[in-house]
Amino acid sequence: MLGPMGVTLAVFVGSLVVVLGLWMTGRDPRPRSAPESVPFIGGRPPAVHAWSRYHARYHVMALVFLAFDMEMVYMYPWAVVFVREGPIAMVEMGMFITILLLGILYAWREQVFEWA
Amino acid sequence: MGVRDALAHLAGGAVAPVFAVAGGGAREAVAELALSPSVELVDSPAAASVLLVAGFLPSDLHTPLAALHDAMPDPRCTVSWPLGSDHGSMPLSSSRLRIGPDDEPVQAVTRAYRALLSGVVATEPPIQPDVDPNPWRGVGPYGQGGRGMTGGTPYGRPMAELGPDRDGLRLDVLPLSIGPFFPRFPAGLILDVVMAGDLVIEGRVADSPFGGGEWRPPVGPFVRALSEPVPVAEIELARARQHLRWASDALITQGLPAFAMRVRRLAVTLTPGHASSVRALSRRLRLLRVPQWSGAGVGRIAPELLTGLALGPVSRAAGLGEDARAADPAYAELGFEPIVARDGDAAARWDVRLAEAAQSLELAARARGQRTGGVGIVEGPRGRLGPDDSPFQRLQSLLPDLLAGLEWGDAVTALASLDLDPEEAGTVAARPSRAEAA
Repeated sequence: MLGPMGVTLAVFVGSLVVVLGLWMTGRDPRPRSAPESVPFIGGRPPAVHAWSRYHARYHVMALVFLAFDMEMVYMYPWAVVFVREGPIAMVEMGMFITILLLGILYAWREQVFEWA
Repeated sequence: MGVRDALAHLAGGAVAPVFAVAGGGAREAVAELALSPSVELVDSPAAASVLLVAGFLPSDLHTPLAALHDAMPDPRCTVSWPLGSDHGSMPLSSSRLRIGPDDEPVQAVTRAYRALLSGVVATEPPIQPDVDPNPWRGVGPYGQGGRGMTGGTPYGRPMAELGPDRDGLRLDVLPLSIGPFFPRFPAGLILDVVMAGDLVIEGRVADSPFGGGEWRPPVGPFVRALSEPVPVAEIELARARQHLRWASDALITQGLPAFAMRVRRLAVTLTPGHASSVRALSRRLRLLRVPQWSGAGVGRIAPELLTGLALGPVSRAAGLGEDARAADPAYAELGFEPIVARDGDAAARWDVRLAEAAQSLELAARARGQRTGGVGIVEGPRGRLGPDDSPFQRLQSLLPDLLAGLEWGDAVTALASLDLDPEEAGTVAARPSRAEAA
């Protein structure tokens, strides 16, 4: 009788009621007091604000990952022509990967993979 | 019974979330309480409904305790468990819920939790005033309290200072004072660190609050052995138990709570006949590579820094054979030889402690009424104990160099591997006056 749209609407409204109900029951009925809002680091209040800038060293690792991800993209067209081109394609890809590998060794020496 | 009462009754049957403060002389009792399935020791006051204050707390810790109490959400209650110590001057002395010497602690805690949820016991009012010490000022383009992205004092707290970075940058360094009730450290341990991201730039452990002479600690076999001969079997069983308790705490730190509870259960029921169980445990841990993965190369201390400090398993893990028991004729009679490892890191400390636990049980089983002879100096589970001289105080000077440059996780692993015990400072400080009184 309702049709697909009606069923979808019913599911949507039902979900909305469930989510709102859960939200209402989980809601704190009163605002948190000042001592409750202090971040817990063992019982003493923090001396400075936690809003601080630090060196996110893992971003260099993310860049290295992206470089190798792109390398895989180049491998797809190479795989298509690999049989036709024969051993020369193998050698060319070997050279490409060796150059990237040298990059990895350089990054390793520069302590890129150490997060601390 | 109304719906509200029915729901309260249902909720009261749940596992009681307890934040436990194990003060002086209460660490073992609280560790045993955690074995019960009806009690869960939570890591933050925000997750707790019951604050359990066990043992003695020096006056320096009363203000942080009040802050801890107020950080718990409603409904909340405090259960005090004096365990023979005097709780008189504490900020929570008005608490009506108290575990007496004849009460069963798990039952008392769960009863308090149920009473709290059903409304029989009212939620406790805050101890400190509900005034924000660092109010939100809402000034500036981002509401941060001043000009620029990081200018001003957001929430009234100053921003972190700038400091040099390993890569030549100048970024924020965050001073933090962790403790005295940080759940991964013993109560009373305060770690002052300066962090850049998750990297520890500087770190030091503050003096023990138990060392002020306020505390009259219960006299265990190690302290008793300072002034009188004690049966070797008793002292060695206590040593093995302490090493297993340490292993259990270290496993919780490594995120293996179920394994930790099994080790703790073994520690509670330990007898001299359990040497093979301890060896099996050691093999299992090595098979799972728990010590190696968490502690290989972490918190390494060079033997030349440890020479003469007599830090027990910490010294012996670095290859030093320092052990006061080696000079004791009673131990020579039992064929005692110190266990040493080479690497001096957290993994080596695991190996030494577990091997020593098994060795202690074997010594206890072999001992035929021998008593310790070395009065005045005793080899405690953490190193040499003497009047007014505890391993905690000797370790403190090594910590700044050890912690600098570690990631936070490794810093916690390194500190856990040292088995720091602030109470020990109070135990030996109180000892001479006890001897005089005797």
